[in-house]
Amino acid sequence: MPKILFIEHSGKEHLIEAEAGKSVMQAAVENMVPGIVGDCGGACSCATCHGYVDPAWQDKVDPRNETEEMMLDGAMNVESNSRLTCQILVKQELDGLVVRLPSSQF
Amino acid sequence: MSAAISWDPYNADLAKDPYPTYKRLREEMPLYYNEEHDFYAVTRFADIEATLRDRDLFSSRHGDILEFIKAKSVMPDSVFIHQDPPKHTAYRSLMQRIITPKRMHAVEQDIRALCARSLDPLVGGDRLDFIANLGAEMPMRAVSMLLGIPEKDQIAIRQSVDDRLRTEAGKPIDIAAQQQLQQDALSGFDEYIAWREKNPSDDMMTELLQSEFKDPEGVTRRLTRDEISNIVNVVAGAGNETTNRLIGWMGKTLSENPDQRREVAKNFALIPQTVEEVLRFEPPGPFLAREVMRDMELHGRKIPKGAAILLLVAAGNRDESRFVNGDSFNIHREARPHMTFGQGIHVCIGAPLARLEGRVALEEILKRFPDWEVDLDNAVLSSTSTVRGWDSLPAWIGSKPKNVTVSIPKPAAEPAPAPAAAAGPVSLEGTWNVVVKGPTGPQPAVLVLEKSGDTYTGSQSGQGSTTPIADFKLTGNKVYWVNHVTKPMKIKVEFNGELNGNVLSGKAKAGFMGSYPFTATKA
Ligand code: HEM
Ligand code: FES
Repeated sequence: MPKILFIEHSGKEHLIEAEAGKSVMQAAVENMVPGIVGDCGGACSCATCHGYVDPAWQDKVDPRNETEEMMLDGAMNVESNSRLTCQILVKQELDGLVVRLPSSQF
Repeated sequence: MSAAISWDPYNADLAKDPYPTYKRLREEMPLYYNEEHDFYAVTRFADIEATLRDRDLFSSRHGDILEFIKAKSVMPDSVFIHQDPPKHTAYRSLMQRIITPKRMHAVEQDIRALCARSLDPLVGGDRLDFIANLGAEMPMRAVSMLLGIPEKDQIAIRQSVDDRLRTEAGKPIDIAAQQQLQQDALSGFDEYIAWREKNPSDDMMTELLQSEFKDPEGVTRRLTRDEISNIVNVVAGAGNETTNRLIGWMGKTLSENPDQRREVAKNFALIPQTVEEVLRFEPPGPFLAREVMRDMELHGRKIPKGAAILLLVAAGNRDESRFVNGDSFNIHREARPHMTFGQGIHVCIGAPLARLEGRVALEEILKRFPDWEVDLDNAVLSSTSTVRGWDSLPAWIGSKPKNVTVSIPKPAAEPAPAPAAAAGPVSLEGTWNVVVKGPTGPQPAVLVLEKSGDTYTGSQSGQGSTTPIADFKLTGNKVYWVNHVTKPMKIKVEFNGELNGNVLSGKAKAGFMGSYPFTATKA
């Protein structure tokens, strides 16, 4: 299973094993990673699954879709590597993915 | 096995402390059926979550309130809280572009100013009422500001309407028309939309007027005035009363956990997690309802298609399998998402604003009053199938008189004489804050009563319109009056209530829409 490293804003790290085919948000929530909330369950309707994809991985994840762009447009603390993690699908090529988390999801 | 469990959202006695019953339901009867009111209920976190995430099996097409589902209520498409996809999706995705976290956070300073304005006059005094002084006012204004109705504009709208009245004054005076105009000016709302159309700004209303969206039929167009009016009603209805209740629960919970309160007062960085813990511990909206779309089975029991199922968010939020020591209030608990804002496609769109209001309110309260003790003897708790919280929650912020004792609160509906009765019943004359537990959530209104001889007259404002009341009758402690509401639709609302102490409560019958409980307290 691909491994994903989540780094909380405080620097605390969580290395988890993610199931391919699920979203990065789901993987985080199922593994109780604090800092990813995922209120809407992946419907791209809440922006509480915000994370910063490590620049080294930015080209390897699928690009933002239209709804995600729109949600990020209205979200807080958005950077060029900001993503809604419910919109990133876990796949084998993402083994080792690093996602940093914002100081707060709200 | 112990005695059968009975749980009923209308039981006022149970509303005081429903948590022991919730615990038993979670443990002994994870799928509960109430015969009297014919509904099912789930209490475990995992079951609530699964239900909210399965929008095909569990529908919102008749709303998310038990009574509405039972009545097979139908609302216009734009009342999106009351719809399934694709209708829900069409309006929700439009609203998501408009009510953004960024825009909600932009009103922080205004919310802070509102809190300061409400709290500053109380500094140096002995009492603070979390509801009357803060909860009843601030969230409503915050939503208005979000919608883009700042006070200066409210004045400007009034001015433009006044001007028009003046230019028409040369013509023969049509009193009825004038009164209508004046009412509209007061109601402001349609006027406001029209005015905003001519005076676009960068606010939400302008965006509601100008944005194009793909409607449920797939046509790209702008919203109609009626749709805007409905959407604003949904947003205002969903955002006022809930946040008001949150402020009450912060007051109550932190009064009863003074050690944690002192810690927070010393370290404001703890405020966001404190608000989160209050939201988990005492959710302002304790239940959500859905309609079951297919015959199904859960925990070995069948649920028929068409049944109403209640999701007891307040019970799920204390589920031990998810929250260690769920029944204790602990701001330092491991951060795990609760269910207070719902889950899935209908998840609260205003959660960032509610959390912001909670945080700013708590900061401003603690800055001025680091210590308080709620006066439960004089507090009023109310609970309906949509919200549970304080209608009135006074607290001692200064010296507390020695003869005062704190005891269990009396629910609003209880006919026991409320404390104020000792000093003689309150007079009906004056201003009452009325809350009708209506279709899209609780609807606040203000009733102003005047007495001349034995007759009462007055007016009632709510939903942005003010109309005179009619047929007011007082028989013993029974009260009856009629309010012809004009917004959001023309409808006759009959109020039948009883005055007990300082609380007026009963049923409001809104024509074909059915009857809803109401409570009124003296402003
Ligand atoms: C503490 C305060 C609040 C609580 C507890 C709360 C709770 C909820 C819940 C549980 C839902 C989901 C209903 C369902 O699934 O059927 C909801 C939906 C909604 N809330 Fe809130 N809310 C709060 C504050 C606000 C505020 C401040 C606003 C407005 C700015 C707001 C606007 C809405 C809207 C428009 C919906 C409908 C969303 C949809 O159906 O897609 N709420 N709220
Ligand atoms: S989980 Fe809601 S936007 Fe990603």
